[in-house]
Amino acid sequence: MSRMRVHKLFRKTRFFFFALFGLIVISVSVLSITTVSRELSDEYESNSRSIAQNIADSSVDILLNRNLATLQSLIDQFVQIESIRYIYITSETGEFLAHTFVPGIPDEILASDASSTATVERSLPGLGDFIEVGAPILSGVAGTVHVGMDLELLGLKIQRAIGAQMALFGIIFVIGSLLTFWFVNLASQPLADLLAFAVRMAGGESATGDEPVLSRDDEAGELARLFMHVNRRAAGADREP
Amino acid sequence: MVPGAGVSPARGRNASRPPQDDEIVLGVSAAFSGPSRGLGTELYRGSMAYFNQLNENGGVNGRRIVMKLLDDGYQPDPCVANTIELMQDESVFLLFNYVGTPTVTRALPVLKTFRDQQVFLFFPFTGAEPQREPPYGEFAFNLRASYRQETAGLVDNFVRIGRRRIAVFYQNDAYGRSGWAGVREALARHGETIAGEATYTRGTQFSASMRGQVEILLERSPDAVICIGAYAACGAFARDAVDLGLHIPVANVSFVGSENMLQLLQEGRADPNSHTRWLVNSQVVPSYEDTSLPAVREYREMMALHDPPPPDNVARITEGEPYETFPQSFVSLEGFVNAKLITEIIRRMGDDPQRSGIEEAVFAVRNYDLGVGERVSFGPERRQGLQRVYYTVVEGDRFVPLEDWEAKFS
Repeated sequence: MSRMRVHKLFRKTRFFFFALFGLIVISVSVLSITTVSRELSDEYESNSRSIAQNIADSSVDILLNRNLATLQSLIDQFVQIESIRYIYITSETGEFLAHTFVPGIPDEILASDASSTATVERSLPGLGDFIEVGAPILSGVAGTVHVGMDLELLGLKIQRAIGAQMALFGIIFVIGSLLTFWFVNLASQPLADLLAFAVRMAGGESATGDEPVLSRDDEAGELARLFMHVNRRAAGADREP
Repeated sequence: MVPGAGVSPARGRNASRPPQDDEIVLGVSAAFSGPSRGLGTELYRGSMAYFNQLNENGGVNGRRIVMKLLDDGYQPDPCVANTIELMQDESVFLLFNYVGTPTVTRALPVLKTFRDQQVFLFFPFTGAEPQREPPYGEFAFNLRASYRQETAGLVDNFVRIGRRRIAVFYQNDAYGRSGWAGVREALARHGETIAGEATYTRGTQFSASMRGQVEILLERSPDAVICIGAYAACGAFARDAVDLGLHIPVANVSFVGSENMLQLLQEGRADPNSHTRWLVNSQVVPSYEDTSLPAVREYREMMALHDPPPPDNVARITEGEPYETFPQSFVSLEGFVNAKLITEIIRRMGDDPQRSGIEEAVFAVRNYDLGVGERVSFGPERRQGLQRVYYTVVEGDRFVPLEDWEAKFS
């Protein structure tokens, strides 16, 4: 028996499945992007603040001993951390005591409030975009530590995290679509067999009784047997005088 | 002077081995490669000139002095690793001739960690404060004057001739900051502040452009610039300063390596002195031309006699062109003087020197005449032997003593 496919009846079902799946993927992605972005940004800022506080706590004795070489050595070690782009330490009067800028301290930073510990975003010409946090040394009476973190690197990290999630969603979408397509085809197969059987009956062929659809114990099998019965009765009526 | 005899000369070595009865091992971590290799190499050569002669004559109390050499390329992390290795080597009697502030500053906590082993750092080639002050001062002995003294002398002289607006060009690390702090303190005593500042990254080569730094300082219109850096970068700055019209005195502290810088500035130029007219370098040892001093005469004789080559058995961090040595230099003279004093300290420890006796032997050095025109004394509160600072300017192909600041720079 030639196989037939059922397209029209399940078109809406397939569309509904894809639409629902797409909606889930898009909404989860949007939620994920905002969550990852927010949480990474918060973590970034939190880490920066911890580092700034750590330097501030370590600086007290060094500053009291006027040992600026050791202070510079300390910040030189911290600036080796990947995301930290610059560190500067100002005195309680706003004087720059140690910093990591080459070839000089940017004008924007020279003009800023050295005692502020607020989180600020800075765009420094020739250097890039940064998020800067501050931490007071001895509650600010000994100075302030400022740590600048690379926003470009943060953006890259967010992109990487989101990219990984999107790739996962994409894979799930493709696999889900293929499974849906396969499952719909599987579900529609008895109906396709029934349709082929009915077309044969309507074409004047008589059933042999061996057709697979007749042996099914589901609705498709019952309908096939009903078709055969109706077909035979119709054939008997035709032969009566 | 140590008389000569036919015993095989001392050599640096880098393999670890058990302590020998006939030798005393000095552990050295210094720059033998990279842009500052001239400093470690010349310091080593000066010391070797003395040790070679000493060892050829039977050593000190019958023991030869040898140096275990490790290259740190003037980088802090390798220096820390080297220091740990040297501290764990039982044969190393003391640490000697370290080069640089960023390196020594990071090595000092290692000395404190291993304090039970009583290994001291002798005569590092740096004038920074961390090895002169608590909490690490007790682990080191210095011979040379400090950067604070060098920069104070430079500032005082500039102010005296009316050059009060002083800017700083410095290596952006612990060394640069140490010199910067010295300039700042000295200026504060004259009621002044730093007129401007520009920085460079450690390891910068002579071929690098310093235009950005010169332009920053030009905007501040200084009367003089004090450079706290190594010879390659400071030479590049001196070159670009002249080329960009910054015609004011450019001073360098002793660490710069005067001869190495001069060689870079004069090499291949039609007018060799086109970029050296404004240079003034402070030194922590007298001029090697001053043969009125016994130590200088001895140094010149030993250098001529032995002409120690650069160390050939050191695992270098980076490879480069073969190093071209200088017949004499301020750095090798400092290495020579360092070797002479450490030998005297070891000699005072007798036939069986122990680490536990080092500090006492150093403190016993009082009014000792090294032959440099200044007597050396040490004590619990005095961990720096020499105090004097000398000033030099370029004349022909060498640095000579600066006699008259006013006539030169007014």
